[in-house]
Order: sequence, then structure tokens, then C-alpha cells
Amino acid sequence: MEFPSNLHPTLFMAGPLGMTDVPDLSFMCSWKDALTLPGPQNCKDRALPLAKDLLWEPSMPGPLPLLPPGPDPWDPGVTARDLLFRGGYHYRRRPQVVLDVTEQLSRFLWDHGDIAFAPLGKLMLENFKLEGGRNYSKKRTVVRVKRLLQDLGGYQPWGCPWAHVSHRLRRFSILGGPVLSRSVSLLLGKLLHEELALRWEQLLLDEAFTGGALAWLPSRTARTGQLVYPAGGALDRLYFQEVSLTSAGNPRVLKNPGHIQLRGPVRQVVTSTIQEETLLAVRSDYHCAMWKVGKPGEPAPLKVLQVEKGATGINLSPHLPGELAICSRSGAVCLWTPQDGLQLVYKDPETLAFRDPSPWRWADFTAHPRVLTVGDRTGVKMIDTQGPPGCGLLLFRCGAEASCQKGERVLLAQYLGQPDPVFPPTLHLICTQFSLYLVDERLPLVPVLKWDHGLPSAPLLARLLPPAGPSCPQPLLLGGQGGQLQLLHISGGGTSMPRLAGPPQTLPSVTDSLSTFPLLEPKHQQQLEERLQAPTIGLAAAPPWISTPILLLFQLSAAGDIFHQQLRLLPGAPLLDQTPPPSWTPQATAHCSRWLVDLLELPPSPTAWAAPTFSHRRLLGHMDLQKSEGELPQRLRVAMARGQLLRPGDLGTPPTAEPPPAPECAPQDELSERLSEAWEGRGATWWERQQGRASGSQTQAKRPKRRTQLSSTFSSLTSCLDLPDDNSPPPSPDQTSFKARLEPPGIPPSQESTQELWERGVRSERRQTLRDYMAKLPLQKDTPGPAATPPSQPSSNWVTSSQQQTPVPRGSQAPRKRQRMGF
Amino acid sequence: MPRRPSRRRCETDVSDFSEELRKPVTEDEQMETSMLSAKGMHFPWLQKQLETVVTGGKKKKDFAQTTRTCLSFIQDALLKHQWQQAAEYMHSYLQTLEDWDSYKKQAAPEIIWKLGSEILFYHPKSNMETFNTFADRMKNIGVLNYLKISLQHALYLLHHGMLEEANRTLSQAETWRYGEKSSSQEILINLVQAYKGLLEYYAWSKKKMELSKIDEDDYAFTTKSRNMLSQSWKTSVNFCALIKTPGVWDLFVKSYVEMLEFYGDQDGAREVLTNYAYDEKFPSNPNAHIYLYNFLKREKAPRAKLISVLKILYDIVPSHTLMLEFHMLLRKSEKEEHRKLGLAVLFGVLDFAGCTKNITAWTYLAKYLKQILMVNHLSWVQEEWKSRKNWWPTFHFSHFWAKSDWKEDSDLACEKALVAGLLLGKGYRYFRYISKQDHEILRKKIKRMKKSVKKYSITNPVV
Repeated sequence: MEFPSNLHPTLFMAGPLGMTDVPDLSFMCSWKDALTLPGPQNCKDRALPLAKDLLWEPSMPGPLPLLPPGPDPWDPGVTARDLLFRGGYHYRRRPQVVLDVTEQLSRFLWDHGDIAFAPLGKLMLENFKLEGGRNYSKKRTVVRVKRLLQDLGGYQPWGCPWAHVSHRLRRFSILGGPVLSRSVSLLLGKLLHEELALRWEQLLLDEAFTGGALAWLPSRTARTGQLVYPAGGALDRLYFQEVSLTSAGNPRVLKNPGHIQLRGPVRQVVTSTIQEETLLAVRSDYHCAMWKVGKPGEPAPLKVLQVEKGATGINLSPHLPGELAICSRSGAVCLWTPQDGLQLVYKDPETLAFRDPSPWRWADFTAHPRVLTVGDRTGVKMIDTQGPPGCGLLLFRCGAEASCQKGERVLLAQYLGQPDPVFPPTLHLICTQFSLYLVDERLPLVPVLKWDHGLPSAPLLARLLPPAGPSCPQPLLLGGQGGQLQLLHISGGGTSMPRLAGPPQTLPSVTDSLSTFPLLEPKHQQQLEERLQAPTIGLAAAPPWISTPILLLFQLSAAGDIFHQQLRLLPGAPLLDQTPPPSWTPQATAHCSRWLVDLLELPPSPTAWAAPTFSHRRLLGHMDLQKSEGELPQRLRVAMARGQLLRPGDLGTPPTAEPPPAPECAPQDELSERLSEAWEGRGATWWERQQGRASGSQTQAKRPKRRTQLSSTFSSLTSCLDLPDDNSPPPSPDQTSFKARLEPPGIPPSQESTQELWERGVRSERRQTLRDYMAKLPLQKDTPGPAATPPSQPSSNWVTSSQQQTPVPRGSQAPRKRQRMGF
Repeated sequence: MPRRPSRRRCETDVSDFSEELRKPVTEDEQMETSMLSAKGMHFPWLQKQLETVVTGGKKKKDFAQTTRTCLSFIQDALLKHQWQQAAEYMHSYLQTLEDWDSYKKQAAPEIIWKLGSEILFYHPKSNMETFNTFADRMKNIGVLNYLKISLQHALYLLHHGMLEEANRTLSQAETWRYGEKSSSQEILINLVQAYKGLLEYYAWSKKKMELSKIDEDDYAFTTKSRNMLSQSWKTSVNFCALIKTPGVWDLFVKSYVEMLEFYGDQDGAREVLTNYAYDEKFPSNPNAHIYLYNFLKREKAPRAKLISVLKILYDIVPSHTLMLEFHMLLRKSEKEEHRKLGLAVLFGVLDFAGCTKNITAWTYLAKYLKQILMVNHLSWVQEEWKSRKNWWPTFHFSHFWAKSDWKEDSDLACEKALVAGLLLGKGYRYFRYISKQDHEILRKKIKRMKKSVKKYSITNPVV
């Protein structure tokens, strides 16, 4: 294999992460990567020109659901709100997290007293005598419950020092006090804290779905394939859904999917096609399984493996059919091969680069079929499965070598070798919570590409797709757990290093689709939002076709829904935001409405917790029924005993003719009108009606007008800086010298548009006011001073481009500051 | 035995890096880590989660809120390639320079530079002048970024072919000093100097080209060459400092060596290359060894020397194209040990996924296997084959590959078939499939192949 003859200049410093005395050259921008150095005349390997306008445009503003929602209800589970203490400080540079154990504990004791105290009661059973007559036992540790209860009899001496306490109560409290008050709260508190911390960690990073549980299996024919994914309430059913693609690139679902029922939730689905043999492997919490997907679509099971400590990652070999790498929480990495069966390749409960108490492990393959990568949160190592155990070479380390930040950890490590590679098959992708690295296994520890992805959730999913054309860069998809998607264009290979061929782009996420759904009542709206916000647990793509560069992406959500979106490679035309944003087609809207109807028909999810119910029948029975009671109380009593809903009609009272009290301005009060309509389920129609009415109404028209005025004022605030000042004094000598030194820069791109707004939005008499206002603003630091500029650099003065044409005295220079950057 | 990258730079002991956990922490950090469990992992999305919960306490200032929102708008616009919109937001974002929070105020220039330069780099209406003005201004906001921005600015100018301007920018940066010289500053200054050296090298190599066109007896030749000499001395100073700092400096080393060689300073060039390849503090860069090998080859160094250099490259990158050259060197060597290694090298190359269709490697292997087996070194072959016999058959010699290789490249298929026959016997599917094919041109070759397999296959019972 060729090795790139000229690597990018890189500083190499060994050391822990977050080292501050080394310049982080990777802080540079995405364009840094695009730069080429003009080689001397004989330099052959000039990189490809940068594609500035490389853009995959989504055909719609958001992804659409592919299949109707499954029959099982979905519950989003705990949120940060459920776990954290709410009274913390808001404004801190470093956020502070306090788990709300106290409230949780008190709630638990109230709601599940039986669970909290029953074991103690059982433990202390021998100290209580529950029934029978006087106890002649000499044991002084046995208490008669009947008397105790009698003594207690509704009498609680809270805080009253003179309260009468019987001997029995005294003895009981002395005996039971230490046990009852401390042990429950201590033990429970500890367990609860542990559990809450675990849940909180899971909420921040749910590593179970690392790698993703959605896979695309291409078929023989170009435009069909199979989606393999788990669904069902517990994600324990593995579906095989056939999908065909229309000529326009839209997916069409073929017949009902086949499925396999498993005994645990599916966390990861991987596939590989080698030598025309397609294999499928699945990771559950404690089991891994492998199938061979035959031609008729009937998968034949090959192997099931049990992982006692819990599996954290699996991967299928891209070189040899049926080879599977499995990692366990114990720190062991095994390779399963059809010839030799299971083989322990590596075992180390400690992490690779420095100590980090995480049990997460990952393994993947490399360009050498007998060398695996083994990863944990601190680094990635290459292990020769045939070499002596314990040896290996670090491929990536969270440290100064890759200019890692403090607290940076590996979240995903993926081998990017493909059957038909554009790049040399030696590249590995490593994702952390901050950045994305490409590492070549021939040049360990020095990333060949680093890019700060800035995703607002954990990037646990990545797919490298084949290029759209012979000389096109390869799209690399990166998916966050929160549903955010990014697309990077990577080119290179052969004698040049892989690099970003253009600026990366974001793709619409599932929550962007909310706008296509009709407006709903709050409760349903929330249900829909929760469903769309479900974490993304799988990412797959139908590869682009050479004839029409269309990319079809599929996303699997934790609720079991699959969303798809279509992207087109824009022809390379210079564009400046004028391409109209994609809009929803009527078909898409109709499709979403149908999906929504199905979703709302689902039974509500059984709540994980319900308020305790007390049996009131017994209480009612104990009370003596008063004979003198009227008919009404009696009916109430009957209804209560039966747990019925009581309506006025049931009580026999004639419905009152009086209408329910209404606010005086009933017809005008939109809110109550809207509420009552919404209550009847006609919220949407009301809204439409209202909109129709509003267009003619004058009062309604006022509001938007006011807003445009405001916003134009705001935009004029920025653009007034560009406005030539008519009555400015003559230029000071200081500035004229600048005039000579600095070339006037070109017109800032934004200037034209904002200036227009200024003309439109602000009347001439207000301009002066604004100008005066701006002059008063505390922006006057721009005179050369030691705080803002080094004294050695007088030319660093804040001087605007417009200033050169219309210089003003120092005092009123201030507001011009913002415009100087050339924007 | 598949060869793995050498463990030349042994891994640092685990405890070395536990420093990270032992560093003194500020009060804030301590609180955070204790709350977040002991993991010490940072979550950029933590703040957002907290904001959904925490209601009490001091709220963020409006200023901070608007600035942050604006920043997220800019980032969003950038990722949607909406350069115009990003530029408009950027206009407002500049207020962050006036943040009261000193920490943020310090971080602001870097963020502004990063975002601003990106916008200006991609914005269709932006031009070099705008970019230059922006860069010049940004350099002087927050002194700490002067060198970094200068360097990037120079790279930008270089990218656009403006060598003179780049040189000016670098010269300015070179003389810039602020406060006490920190190690980070020093490295940056070294980088700046190295790039300056690179520019000088470009000029030099241009002159060299011109010189090669002039007659040697000409008067112009002597003056020009004298000029070049003085220039070279200057350049060497520029490169020296940086290439002693651990890193990947391919471009600089290559240029420097070319100049040294031109002036006949072979020893100097060798020293530079040797240091670059063998210094323990440097990353194991295959190019360092390749440069050294190419230099030694130019120098007509003895074979043993060449072999020792390539041996290290073999340890680092056993899949490199030079390995075939290495094999030829070993094959010609008198030492038996070398000839044995020659076989291992070929097997090593063919272990890798990217090399499976390398017809030269297969041809060499087929030829060499036959040769070795002819002189009865069966044990060498067996040693190599031992660790491969349970995966090479599926990896290289499956029925699928027999069919597809024959279809795509019948020459390759023939070479592979010979190897398969020699290693797995004449009954093996790959060999059988190819030997049954009927091909006009290759008929003779196939016949020869069958004969060799029959005679030399390692599966033959030992007589």
C-alpha cells in the first residue's frame, strides 16, 4: 500500500490531556484542513481543489416516519427533572449537579411504605406479639402490639415535652428507635443514591446503544434492501423489513416484515457482506448472536454466545466471513471464528492510557485480519491475536498527542476499511464528546484529521458511505444520541492524506419534523414531542447511486420508529443562501397525519409509578351508617364504595337551568373560547377559523406591525454603524495616517441588506436619536490601551473601514467597533 | 507470523497519566467531579440538561444569554452552509468582546477568529482583502493569539499563492514577543520560522531550476550560485529549531535535506534524516524511514545499510510498497537469515486487506516459494504458513475469489493459484478451479504451474 508521501506538519507532545503549555494547533478551523501548500515545481502530489459548495441538500425539512408506529406504548423514562435537585445555582461557569435523594427518599417512604418497612417488620417479628392474651414471657424484648396500638391511639406527642408516654411506648421507642429511624434511611438512601447516580449517568450517556441498532442489508438488485432493527416495547424483536427505492429515491416498504423474537433487548446490530455472504450479528445485554442471511431472506442462526458480565460491543470482520469480535464489561475481548471457536484475545480490567473506572470496552478490526483494535474510554490499542498476550501498540490515546481536552473520553472507535476502498483500508474513526479523529494505523497516536463536531449529545453512531461518484469525496455520517446528524466530506487516499473536502454540514433531525404535524391539544402534542425526541439508537444509509447522487438515510429511535430522509448532492453552483429552503410536500404532510392518528390511537403507556390507592371500603364499612342520612349522602356513599363516577343526573337532582359562570366578556375572550373548543377536541378547526378571521381584523394586524418595527430598529442598530455620518468633524491626523497604511477593505457582505432595513425601518428624525444613543454606549475601549491591545502594536487600533472615509474624533469612534471585522 | 508495528516506543506506564486525576483542582471543579461520580469525564451537553431543571438562584445575565444564543445561531448557520446568515449573526456576536466575565473575554478572540475566518473563507462574496483585514485586526485582540493567527493567516496566503505577503506576515510574527517566552510561544515561533524557511526554499528551488538552464561557464552562473549559498545558510537556521521538536515535519525535513544535499553536505543531511527517523521522542513516522532509505539509495550506500533501514520500516508498516524492494534486496543477500526474512516480508505484505490484489507481490511469492522449495527450505515455508493456514484459505483462496480473480485478472489468478497449490496442495479448490480453466495464452503457464505444484507442494508426503 502507498503511504502518503507528505504528512501535514503536526506537533507531537506526549503527556496527559488538557496540557496547557502546548499550542493546540488543531484549534484551527475546518478550512485549515483545506489549505494546500504550493509545492515546488516538481511536487506532484497536489491535493484536489477544495469544494467550497459541496452540499447534500435534504429534500424535505425533516425526516419522515417510514412505518406506522408499533403497537407497544413508549414511555420516555426518567428525565433530569426527576433526578436533580431543583434549587441549584443557575449561573455558574461549571455546572453543578446535585442528585435529589432526599425528595426521592421521602416520596418513596410515603408511597411505598410497605416495601420500605416490611422487611424490617419481618426482621423484628419475634419481638412482637401480634395476638393472644397476656404474655407471660419473661423476654423483655417482646412487645404486645395490641396494647401498643392502643397507647398510640391517634395520639402523637409531636414536640410536646410534657406529653404522656406510656412505658410500653417508651420501651418501644428506645428499642426500635435506632433500628427504625436509621437503618431504613441509611440503607435505602445509599441504594437510592447509587441508583439515581446510575440513572443520571445513563441520561448523560447511554452507552448501551453504541454503534447503533439499525443496519441496511443491500440486496442483489440495486434498489432494494433490507432494514434490520429491533422494535417492540422492550426492543426484543428483531425485524427484517424489505424496502425498495423508487426511481425518485423514495423508500417503499414491501410487505410485512419478518421477525425473530429474542429474549433480551437488542442494543447493537452489525452486518457484513464478504465474498457474497451476508452475516448479521446482534448484541443484547448478556448475549450475542450471529445469523447468516440467505437468499430467500430466511436468516440461519450460526452461533449464540453468552457474556456473563455484559457485552459492550461487537463487530463483524470485514475480511473473513463469520468472524466476530466481542467485548465484555470485565475487560475481556474475544474473537469468535468458525474454525477455532471462541478465543480470548485480550483481558485487562484496567483502562489503557490512564486510570478511568469505566467498564466500557470496544473492539473492531484493522487492515490485518488477525489484528484487532481494543478500545476503552481512554484510548485504543492494536492487538495481534496471534502474538503473545498483553502486547500491542496504542493507536490513539486521550492525551496531549491528539491535543485532547480535559475530561475528553473515547465514545466510539470504528474501523473505516471497506470492501471497495477509496482510502487505504488503514483508517480508524475515533469519536469523543468534543471531536472526531481519523487515525491511520500506520501512523499511530498522531491523528491525521481532527474536527470539533460540537454535537449537543453523545456521538455514538457513525457510517462511512461510498462516494457518490468516481472523484467525489466520501460522505461520513455522524449521529448523536439526541438525533442530531452531521455529514462530513472526506477525500484523499493514495498518496495524499485524508482530509475534509469541504465544510461539514448538519442534516435535519427528527424534531425538525414537528412542523409537518397538525396542531394538537397540549397533552397529545406532548406525546408527539416525546415520541419524536426519543433518543436515536440506530443509523443506516442506502448508499448513493452513481447515476443520481441521492442518499437515503434511516434513523431508528428508542421508541422503535424508523425515520427516513433523502439527500441530494447539489450540483456545484456558487450559491449564497438563496436556494429556497426545502418545504413539505402535501404527500408528506398527509403521511405524517396518518402516522399521527395511528400514534394517538395507541393505548397510553402504563405509568411506571401510580399514586397509592387506599382501600376505602373497609373504612366505610366500619362507620356506622346513620339512618337519618338523606338520600343524597347515601348515593354518594354507594358510588364511593363502588368507585363510580358520580354525575349530577345520578343524584337525581335536575340539571340546573343556569349556565355555568362565564367571564363577562365571554365572546371576546379568546383563551376560554379556545380552551373550551380544545376541550371538545376541535382545537384545530378553531385555530383555522381564528386565522381566517384574524386576517381581516385590524387589532390582530397591529401586533406583527409593531414587531417588524422593533426588529428593524434592532437591525438598524447594527447597520447604523455603517451609516455615513454627515456632521462629523474633520479627520484627526492620527487617522489619516491609517488611511494611508490600510487598504480599504471590500464592502462587508451584510452591509447592503442591513442598510436597506435601516432606510426602511427608522424614520429620519429618529436616526439622530439613535446615533446619540450609540455614542453613549460604553464601547469606547477602542482607543489604544494596555487592556485591549499590546502597546507594541499601535496599528492594532480599532479602526473601521468606514472610518477611513468618514473619520470622527476619538470620543465618538466607539460604536463603530462591530463593523470592522469585515462582516 | 504476521508482523506488527514494533514496540519501539514502549508504552508509558499507566501511572504516568494518573496525574490527570491528581492535579490540584479548584473548588468548583472539585464540587463538580464529586457530583458527577469519580469518572472525571466531561459532558458538553450537561449544561443544557441542567437548565431544564434548575429554577432557583441567580439567573444568567441577559448579555451572556444573548451572546450564547448568537453563538449557537452562527454555528448552526455555518453547518448549514448559510454563510450570509452567519455573517449577519457574526455582526452581533462581536459584542462578546465586551463581556464582563474575564474568562469569556479572554476566550472570545479565539472563537471570533475561528468562526469569522471560517465565514470569510467560504463566503462567496468574501475576498482576500476582507480576509486580510480581518486577520490583521484579530491578531491584536488578545495578545495570546497573535502567533497562532499570524501562522494561519500566512497559510491562507500560501494557499492562495501569495508568497510575498505570506513571507511578510511570517517575518512580522517572527519578531513578535510578548512577556516571558513560554514554551508554547517558542514552538509557535519555531513553526513560523520553519514556514519562512519553506518559503525561502521555494524561492531557492525556483532559482535552482533557472540555474539548471544556464551554462556553467557563464558569469551569471557564479553570481547566482553564490546568492543561493548565502540563502541556504539562512534557511538552515530557520528549519533547525523546529525539526528538533518532536512532531511530523515531513515537508520541512524534505526541503532541508534537498538543500543540504545540493551543497554537498551529505553528512549534515544524513544526520538530519537519522535524527528524524530514530529519535525516540518523535512519533513513529514511516516517512522518516522512507526519506532516509531514499537518501541512502541516492548515496549508493551498501546493501546491508539499506536492509537495516528497511527492516525498521518493515516493523512499522509491513504493508508498504517499499517492502517489495526490500524483498528483492533480501533475496539477493548472501546471508541465509536475510533470505528467510525475504519470505516473511512477502507473506507480511499479502496479509493486509489493501494488498490482496497486488500482482507483483503474488508473482514474487510464487517465484520465491518455488525457489525455496527447490532448495529444500521446507521449514521456512512451514514456519510462515503455520500462523496463516487457518485464515489464508478463506482470505485469499476461497471459491469466490477463484471465480472473481479469474474474471477480473487472469494473470493474478494464475500466480495465486500457484501459491495456493504450493501451500495447500493440488486438491485445493482455488488451484483446481484455475487449473481447469481453458485459456489460449495462459495454457502453457497453467501447465507449468501444475507441474510445479505436483513436484514442490508442501502438502506432498515427505519422501
